[in-house]
Amino acid sequence: MTSVRPKLKADIPKVITAWDVATGATVYQTADRNWSENIADAEVVVGEAADAALEAAQGDELRILDPYVMEVTADGEVTGRETLRETIRATGPTTHTEFHKAARGVVDA
Amino acid sequence: MYRYDEFDAQIVRERAAQFRGQVERRLSGDITEDQFKPLRLMNGVYLQLHAYMLRIAIPYGTLRGEQMRKFAHIARKYDKGYGHWTTRQNIQFNWVALKDIPDVLDELAEVEMHAIQTSGNCIRNTTSDQFAGATAEEIEDPRPWCEIIRQWSTFHPEFSFLPRKFKIAVTAAENDRAAIRVHDIGLHMRRNDAGETGFEVIVGGGQGRTPHVGVTIKPFVAKDQLLDYLEAVMRVYNRFGRRDNKYKARIKILVSETGAEEFTRLVDEEFEAQRDAEKIVLPQAEVDRITQYFAPPAFEDLPDTSDVLEAAKAKDDAFARWVRVNVRPHKQAGYGIVTISCKPIGAPPGDVTDTQMDVTADLAERYSLDEIRITHEQNMVLPHVKLDDLFDLYQELDSAGLATANYELISDIICCPGLDYCNLANARSIPVAQDLQNTFADLERQDDIGELKIKISGCINACGHHHVGHIGILGVDRKGEEFYQITFGGRADEKAAIGQIAGPGLRAEDVPSALERVIETYREVRSSKDERFIDALERVGHDPFKEALYAAG
Amino acid sequence: MPLVKNGEVTANPHGEVLTLEPFLEIAAADPKDAVIVRLMPDDCPLQLEPFIEQLEVVEISFPRYADGRGYSQAQLLRRRLGYKGEIRAVGDVLRDQLLFMLRSGFDAFELGREDAAQAFAAASREYSHFYQPAADGESGVFARRHS
Repeated sequence: MTSVRPKLKADIPKVITAWDVATGATVYQTADRNWSENIADAEVVVGEAADAALEAAQGDELRILDPYVMEVTADGEVTGRETLRETIRATGPTTHTEFHKAARGVVDA
Repeated sequence: MYRYDEFDAQIVRERAAQFRGQVERRLSGDITEDQFKPLRLMNGVYLQLHAYMLRIAIPYGTLRGEQMRKFAHIARKYDKGYGHWTTRQNIQFNWVALKDIPDVLDELAEVEMHAIQTSGNCIRNTTSDQFAGATAEEIEDPRPWCEIIRQWSTFHPEFSFLPRKFKIAVTAAENDRAAIRVHDIGLHMRRNDAGETGFEVIVGGGQGRTPHVGVTIKPFVAKDQLLDYLEAVMRVYNRFGRRDNKYKARIKILVSETGAEEFTRLVDEEFEAQRDAEKIVLPQAEVDRITQYFAPPAFEDLPDTSDVLEAAKAKDDAFARWVRVNVRPHKQAGYGIVTISCKPIGAPPGDVTDTQMDVTADLAERYSLDEIRITHEQNMVLPHVKLDDLFDLYQELDSAGLATANYELISDIICCPGLDYCNLANARSIPVAQDLQNTFADLERQDDIGELKIKISGCINACGHHHVGHIGILGVDRKGEEFYQITFGGRADEKAAIGQIAGPGLRAEDVPSALERVIETYREVRSSKDERFIDALERVGHDPFKEALYAAG
Repeated sequence: MPLVKNGEVTANPHGEVLTLEPFLEIAAADPKDAVIVRLMPDDCPLQLEPFIEQLEVVEISFPRYADGRGYSQAQLLRRRLGYKGEIRAVGDVLRDQLLFMLRSGFDAFELGREDAAQAFAAASREYSHFYQPAADGESGVFARRHS
């Protein structure tokens, strides 16, 4: 079962996130409608552009699953009510730091 | 231990092949995620925060060295070098890629293992007493019946799309280590007046957001009627269990909304109505065949006590403590039951590395007649160790980081993966467990506190069994901040009870000091060192403990 | 929608099929017309007992594939009432449910896909053995080990 994420107002900056179908890795939608494991590569979208980006993601079932919008600052930093959850998704579990994306060189430490 | 025959082996091989096909169809776009999801769920494949998670069944928590070694191999080759024992005696791998899972299932099939029905709205892995077949407390080994239930429930054509998941636990010991009263069905093996063994049937227990202690609907069901009776319970549930709201879909809600008496009547009516053509054909020869696999292993004839053991205890205090805390009496003279704690101070509860799994496999083969158990409290057990061998075993466990002497003590914490891994969690649980372990790290102090079961869940689904912890801790999210609600007085044993919420939630950083005050209060009020926390709590009531919890200045 | 019966796609001739209540009314008035009925998930199949000999088709409806009540309905029809006619699965019927349905006593399936016959054939051969006896007449591994 997929957990339900909070609804976000249209004017809040967002990133589309999902999981890679084949590997399960957390991924973020980039400006060219591709997917990156690094949240720093994500495109920040607002308003109707965000709706369009999510719709594109929902049609991308061959590559990803369960896409949803998460809240970020205008600069693409994780923020809002789900900051802890999304930081953990973007970087790794707080308890096994050896498994962090940074430890694998996927994101900067 | 049970061994597969050609039927079992073929079913598991065919399952792996079937899932390989399903994964291929998903990856090629032949089926949608919506269509694939129930299929992957029936194979134990969840989607968690960082990756897919694969849950592998360890039927009634029993396995042998070769199977443990396979887990070590899977951890190394397909995961990040470790696995996690679940609160239903299974193992979870947190980082497995979907494209690799068909290979993992093939590898598991080689050692007679699978991930069948480890998720989904079907009958899940049957759990049992981790001391089964080794403790003198039981009237007989319940595992043959666990295996019979495993086979009966595997791909059950009628009960694979139930209103919700369904969990069965079986014990044959008065002292219930399998938490049967908080299962959908708990089976307690009993002897009737005629001296025959059968089953007390307890239905409608469970945790989650509406915890219930199960009720006995039948004091005694004979062995040859067990499966037919279970079919009657399952059919009543399948037909009448709620499907309009997934939070009200477990059998506990049906039992409580219908009333235990009426529910029992419905089951009895269904059972009585069964025609011969509907009965499960379970020949006595088949019961005997399965039972024979669980015949006591070849124990040696040994004296009750061991001079080797006594000499080692006299020389080594740490060893003596470990024996006192982690080794329990065996039904066979000269043997002991060893709990291997997977709760070393400061590590995620229930995690074991590939190396530790390999070591445990070797030690099981050398010292425990090739048997290992996994407990719902997330530890391992070597059930058949000669007292003469305990010191050698201890030293090897110690060098692998597996000799923490804390079984049933305050740092032997049940803990779900929480928000560090789980897609459903609202708050982290592992860091809270680690903080508590560090606070109470001193073994002398733990020993003085005595038996105390802390159980931590990161959300109301209660995988960390917080409702039945002597002290339960539930993580909640309050406007993006983690808070922890404390409950007192829960227990999962034969006197099962749901804990009561003490009051407002605490911040994570305040939990250890608050529990230190609670423990101080316990030490002040206990009538003697032998009065456990849970007994003192029952005797004096919750108030002094609540006061202590919130006494910070 | 394609109807698969005996492993083959056949014409799906049904027009309006009565649900249980109107069926029972008509059957009470004129039993000889009582040959086809549709059960919804919360219907009790035991109500069909008076008509069990003359019924030709019982449709069991799956509004959602996850609603498994239809499996109990089929088992009750076959094993409790000894119903011999067709049991047809209609609604949200997926390829990967077919085997459970076959074992529960269904013998016709409305399958919303082009390759219905191939899908059926593949699904029905996935397993060689089953542990429990069921409405498909399979005695189950428990018994087969000793036969």
